[in-house]
Formats: sequence, C-alpha cells, structure tokens
Amino acid sequence: MERHDVVAAVEKALSEVLEQPVTGLTEEVRLFEDLHLDSTSVLEMLMALEDAIDVSVDPENLDMDDFKSVGTLTDYVLSQQTTSGV
Amino acid sequence: MSFDDGYTAGLKAALTGDRDARFVWLCNFEVENQWARSYTGLPAARGSATAATVQRMEELGALLAEPTDYLLLDRPLDEGYRGYAEKTGLGAPTELVTAAPAAAGGTGAAVLDSPELLERLRRIARDGAYLMPMGNSAQEERIGALTGLRPAVPDAATYERVNSKIYSRRVAEELGLRTIPGHCCETVGQLRHALDEQLGEDRPVIVKDAYGVSGKGLLVLDSRRKADRLLRMVERRAANRGDDALHVVVEAFLPKRFDLNYQFTVDRRGRVRLDFVKQALTAGGVHLGHVMPADLTPAQQDELATAAVALGGRLYADGFFGVVGVDALLGADDLVYPVLEINARLNMSSYQGRITERFGRPGGAALARHYPLRLAAPLPFEAVTDALGALAEPPHDGEGLVITCFGTVNAQAGDALAGPPTTPAPHFNGRLYTMLFAGDREGLDALDRRVEAALDRLNTAGRTP
Repeated sequence: MERHDVVAAVEKALSEVLEQPVTGLTEEVRLFEDLHLDSTSVLEMLMALEDAIDVSVDPENLDMDDFKSVGTLTDYVLSQQTTSGV
Repeated sequence: MSFDDGYTAGLKAALTGDRDARFVWLCNFEVENQWARSYTGLPAARGSATAATVQRMEELGALLAEPTDYLLLDRPLDEGYRGYAEKTGLGAPTELVTAAPAAAGGTGAAVLDSPELLERLRRIARDGAYLMPMGNSAQEERIGALTGLRPAVPDAATYERVNSKIYSRRVAEELGLRTIPGHCCETVGQLRHALDEQLGEDRPVIVKDAYGVSGKGLLVLDSRRKADRLLRMVERRAANRGDDALHVVVEAFLPKRFDLNYQFTVDRRGRVRLDFVKQALTAGGVHLGHVMPADLTPAQQDELATAAVALGGRLYADGFFGVVGVDALLGADDLVYPVLEINARLNMSSYQGRITERFGRPGGAALARHYPLRLAAPLPFEAVTDALGALAEPPHDGEGLVITCFGTVNAQAGDALAGPPTTPAPHFNGRLYTMLFAGDREGLDALDRRVEAALDRLNTAGRTP
C-alpha cells in the first residue's frame, strides 16, 4: 500500500469518527491540535482503520508520538502492515 | 462539622480534627494512572497529548490552600498570577518547588528526586504538618515515609479499592440506588456477554475503564459493527498475553437533560455532609465546566442528598474518609441517576470551594469553566488581565470573575513550537480556568459572553478549539 492510499484511508476513518467530512489532509496536519482528536477518538480511528484496510494494530504497542500528525500516523500504519506480513 | 467559617479550615477539621492544621498540598491530577497499574482497560496509547496541561492544573491548589499552607509544584507560579491571587484577598500558599520539572511520574516523582526539598519537608513535618494529596497512591505514601509528613487521608490501598468504577457500580446496586442498565466486566468474555445484552436493546452503550480519568478511557459504541471492532482488538490482546483480564463497566448510553456532579465529605468519625451539587455545562458536546445552582427540583435535590448519605456511610465502612465527588445524571425521563462514578478524591469542584465561599452570595449563581485559547506564542499573565480590562478586577458584591489557573494557558507551548517552522505558523491550545459569579443565571450568561469576547482578542487567526 502506498502512502497516499493510507492518507485516503485515514481521511475516511476520521470522517467516520468526527462525523464530518475530512478531506485534503496533508502530512503536517496535527491530529490533536488541528483536528481536535482525543485519546478516545484515536482508539475509534484505529478500529475504523482496521476495518478499512488490511492492517492489524497491536494494542500493546501504541504510543501517543505515533499520532502526532497525519504523517506520523501514516508511518505507523505502514509499519504495522510490515509486521503483520501484509 | 461546618464550613461556616472556612471551607478549607472545615475540610482540615473533617480530615484531621484540627481546623488550624497545616497542609502540604500535592494536587496529583491523574493519580488514577497509579491506581490503574494492575488493571487492564481499553487499548490506549502510551503518553497523553494533554499531559503538559494536566501537569499545570496542580496550580489550581493555590486558591484551595490557605496562605499558611504549602503547595508542592514542579515549577513556580507565575509571579504576575501570584500577585493577582494575593490581590483577590484569597492569598497564596508557600511554594515548594521540585529540583527539576516533572516527567511522566508527575510532581510526586519529582519530589522524590529532590533531596533538598525532601530535607525541607522533613523540617516542615517536625512542626506537625500533614501531607494532603488529591488522591493517595504508593508514590505519595513514599513521600510521607521519607519525610515524616503525616497523611491527612486514608492509605493508598483504600483509595485504589474505592475508586474503581466497578466498585461504584456494585455499591450503587447494593445500596438500592437507581443505576443505569449495565454490567461490570472483569474478563473479555464478560465484555462480549455485556455487549450482546446491551446492544440487543437497540441503544448506544458506553464502555468505561475501571480507572479512567474523567473523559478518558471510555468509548461509545452505537452499532454492532463498532462493538465487534472493539472485541476483535481486546480478544487479540488477550490471546497474545494469555490473559483475558479486562476491567471495564458497560452501561447504556441514556438520553439525558444534563450531567451532574455533587460533592460530600466524610469526616474521620464517619459523619457525612453534602457540600454542593453542580450541573455540567457543555457546548456542542464538549465539556466546559460546571454551574451552580443546578436546575433540579427539590425532590431531585433530596434524592442526591439521600444518595450522598448512603454512599458516604458505605465508603466509611470500607475504610475511606475525606472528599468524595460523584458524577450523576438527570435523564431525559427526569429521573436522577445518582451514581455514574464515584471519585473518592479531590475533584475539580473541590478546588472551587474556598473561592465560592469568598465571592458567592446566597441566592447567587456561579460558573466554573475554562476558556480555550489558540495561541502562537506564550502569553504573559498581564496580557490576559489587559484583555479582560475591568473584568480582571476581583468580584465585587457577588459579581465578577476569578482566574483560578493561569499555568494551563501556556502549558502546551513547548511541544507545539519546538518543531520546524510550518505554514501557517504553528499554534497551541491553551486553557484559562476561571470562576464567574453573578446574581442569577441570566447575569452569569451575560458575564460569560463578555469574558469570551474579551479573551477572543488573544486568539490567533483561525478556528478556536
């Protein structure tokens, strides 16, 4: 999966969690400061991402630093794909 | 037991029998993290995006402590703010500052890493002072053991036992208080069973960590699909660990008029006194603060008072004394649900007691809220008072505003501005905590709008949080 595919999946997951359309995200956009996510909505977003793309999140190994921005989240999702062998 | 001549002195009398006791306050917000260590909850990322803000909330203790008390802090109060606190007439305690700013363990851990401060605390202990934590955990007990400070509160094991939401729910059921339909879960299998039952009722459910701090560690599930997502994740974790423990409460997400918070105090002899009842204030679903008096009928007020006595008696029987905040709810059906969760520790509202006593008027109204700010650079305290103009003057004759915490305004500046320059320029989200007083709710709303408009000029361009 390419980075832009992950960003598109993140937009779809965020649209579901925030209950409003989220489009045109750049990698610099910050999840907490700019999109106002909180720890609850991060969990909801991860669960939505698992549904949308073939990725399996390791719930033992989540770090807030991975959710600073769209870019760090994309890195995280791609790393989970590698470890889950997809 | 009476707060007639002093909220904080009355609290000291309830906890120690001596209203002139000297306290060393440690406002360890998120002490739940210590209690939660042995209990698996919802999946969560390590760390917190708001940790720096929560850390600075310890400064709320400045207006609860009496000027003869001490307040443990991981950095000094802003000088401008300290001057302001003194100008209000409330005064400010002696600051005891750690050798270095707190890391993940909070101010308690930073105290333990400050040899000179520990030595000073030993001297203070010899004069008979008490250690008064917001909530007690092994970390605070260690400070007591190293310094000789007497605890003003029960031991850490008691705090851990009575602060679980599983305890809250079971006690409410045993006392025959009206509970929200739901289940206590201690295994993943029990969660699956609870979700099956609750979702069959065709209404959303809320899953809450046994030790989640308010607003965190909870998840609303409004469909079977979302429930299955959660089950998939926690079952995978249980399989990996070979351990299916999971400590959560599952409850129906009832339609409501508003949330409530009430506080009572259990003294060392088990006497219970209801301190106050407040109504939660939200805007667009976001929690902003609390307003007093709550919009309840006398019968609804009585129901909460009865619940407070029953809960206080049970907590005392289980080894607890001290301040207890309870989150409750007024349903859309006009029924009071008196126990969403018991927080047997100081609560946000506890920090407002001394301020309310000084500036509130009988029959008047009060609002405790924070104003979100969107800032591009750290703000000096004087910029806030300049923006507020005449509103920055302490309340007079039951009308006006008190700034209850300033440190939270700039708390997020360091992280947000540390990165490379971006376009648009980076900003951070600050919070100015306040209390507003007026003769009635209409006056309070008008004052709130004036404060909001005055502070808006501090915001950088763009959407405020």
